Amino acid sequence: MNLLFNDIRVISPSQKLDTRLNILVKDGFIAEMTSSAINADSQTQIVDSKDLVASPGLFDMHVHFRQPGQEHKETIQTGTDSAANGGFTGVVCMPNTEPAIDDVTVVEYIKSKSKGLLTDVYISAAITKERKGDHITPMIELSDAGVVLFTDDGSAVSRADVMKLAFEYAAPFDYLLSQHCEEHTLTKNFAMNDGALAYKLGLKGYPSIAEEMIVARDLMIALYTGNRRYHPQHISTAGTVQLIRKAKADGQRVTSEAAPHHFILTDDYLTSYDSNYKMNPPLRAKSDVDAIIEGLKDGTIDCIATDHAPHSLHEKHVELENSPNGIIGLETSLGLSLTYLYHAGHLNLNQIIEKMSVNPRKILNLESIEIKVGERANLTIFNPELEWTVNKQLFKSKSQNTPFDKLVLKGKPIYSINNNQYTECNL
Amino acid sequence: MGELKLSKPYLLQASDLTTEDVKLIFDKSDYFLKHYKRGEKFDDLKGVTVAMVFFEPSTRTKLSFDIAAKRLSADTISFQSATSSLTKGESLIDTLHTIEAMGVQMYVVRHGKSGVPQFLQENTSGVILNAGDGKHAHPTQALLDSYTLYRHFGDVKGLKVCIVGDIIHSRVARSNIALLKTLGAEVTLCAPGTLLPRNRNIWDCPIIESLDDAVEWADVMLVLRLQRERMDSGILPSITEFSKYYGVKYEHFTRKPELVLMHPGPVNFGIELDYRLSTYPNCLIQTQVTHGVFIRMALLSLLGRDL
Repeated sequence: MNLLFNDIRVISPSQKLDTRLNILVKDGFIAEMTSSAINADSQTQIVDSKDLVASPGLFDMHVHFRQPGQEHKETIQTGTDSAANGGFTGVVCMPNTEPAIDDVTVVEYIKSKSKGLLTDVYISAAITKERKGDHITPMIELSDAGVVLFTDDGSAVSRADVMKLAFEYAAPFDYLLSQHCEEHTLTKNFAMNDGALAYKLGLKGYPSIAEEMIVARDLMIALYTGNRRYHPQHISTAGTVQLIRKAKADGQRVTSEAAPHHFILTDDYLTSYDSNYKMNPPLRAKSDVDAIIEGLKDGTIDCIATDHAPHSLHEKHVELENSPNGIIGLETSLGLSLTYLYHAGHLNLNQIIEKMSVNPRKILNLESIEIKVGERANLTIFNPELEWTVNKQLFKSKSQNTPFDKLVLKGKPIYSINNNQYTECNL
Repeated sequence: MGELKLSKPYLLQASDLTTEDVKLIFDKSDYFLKHYKRGEKFDDLKGVTVAMVFFEPSTRTKLSFDIAAKRLSADTISFQSATSSLTKGESLIDTLHTIEAMGVQMYVVRHGKSGVPQFLQENTSGVILNAGDGKHAHPTQALLDSYTLYRHFGDVKGLKVCIVGDIIHSRVARSNIALLKTLGAEVTLCAPGTLLPRNRNIWDCPIIESLDDAVEWADVMLVLRLQRERMDSGILPSITEFSKYYGVKYEHFTRKPELVLMHPGPVNFGIELDYRLSTYPNCLIQTQVTHGVFIRMALLSLLGRDL
């Protein structure tokens, strides 16, 4: 099936393109792109596009697809279905699977499960074997197998000496090292942010400094080992934003990402003891939320990444302190970003697309997506003004652990197009 | 009193209670205190089944609730997590629904995790009474403490209460702070730095650094239990040092005989409290226990009457 988008607003920040055109997607390629009328044949579906935007396909560089090992939460199939339904044509899956992605065998397994899907699955591998924090993984071999970044995500590489070794080992190839920033000795048994509310609710707190001291440490090591590339993941505190802002100003090669829940929700939601507000890092104070938004605005934070973390209902619907951390995000990310960043006046559409497509691909040294005739069609079509109510029953993810169910959002994905396939988003 | 109701149909935390609620509960307790006769029962909860659902060990709270329910003619059943299907992997919600399916209307819940009573209330049509959850709340303890002060002083308003000891891990402290402030008492805290919240002003209670100053200031010393397992976590350097600087001594009271002493129990004599104080006239520890039954009768009656 071919698609003709008439009078669609095409935004491609890397091409400095923001204009209204007609686009014909044919056999997986952009066949025509013009301001004059395009004749459609009977094989072509014509989409009334005057309210729609076409952007390079959205990319989420932080998702958990749970395969291998925890297929009851998510699989690569359901995870990519969820991605496509949320407008994402590319993702990076995290290595905290069972077994962990610390070996080429696991990389090859994931690649085999990712073949022929609409959404491209890129793979991150662990920095240390079994993510235990002691011995670095065979990074060269993993990179040759296609791994795009290294992280022990789910936990931090606690030992400074191991992190230093990893930076040194990665140096000749300039691999990207990424970190789940958590000083674990300060976060034992945490259930929420360490603030006044944690004491009132009788819950163990996760101090903001537990994130910041790992960011600060890693920035020092990265600089010391030759200004290595470093990417703190899902950053959540004002202090972290400040550390990265300063490092960038000082010329350090650091990039970062933030998740929608960290620029929307505060720890006040924990008064409900609802485990859909429990994640790692936890929801923070209003001042942190404001700082994350400020960081997104001034470029300190390069990307929006969801930390899509599926868990089954029976695992989440328990005592808050016993609940696993994390929420899903792929099917709400665009709507939340448009509502709370674009419509709230913090970012324009070009900037949203940079944070959700252009920048993550750039950080990972992936080919940039060009929207022009003859190129493969890797596109997200969305309606930035359409109001809709989140209904988790419609999610394609295997899990439904979201705090955003029933929320009214403004801005919605309509089509995901990639690999000669398209999905009409159903949300 | 037939028309009078608490503002919420359950009791999860002390802040659920308004001053009017507390007055209602105290009046009802007074009534039971005055009219209870050994061998006689009230019929307030006739036909109601109350489950004592205890996921954590308890002596006084569980017995107190059990006696209170029986004196109101309720049927009571008891649940101990150590002997239950929880050890077979049954989830908390499943356990609740299992008990519910047997025709239980009220649940007295104690659990080691904060927020569990609220979580259960959201998943049942029955009535939850929080008998202590994690580090969060122990509202009936706070009620019986305030009731004891009300009976002793005639009014709680304006009383100066200093809470001493392991504030940070204590649900009793949290509930007492909330309730005492609702009732207009002045509350201060006295504890080592590692047993106080990082944000020192979150409850708007001044910190008194030395126990001597606290005794000087207070009308009431509310002493908390120091859990011995705190030592293993390294949060205190030694029991000896704690006892020396934060243990309440006999001398504190000989210096100020009108000072009132309370403790939620069980007491670690020799650690937070001098053993000689157990027979001191203004030591209200046993009175607290006695009042606990009447407070719980009042609550069960007020929350269970329409079931």
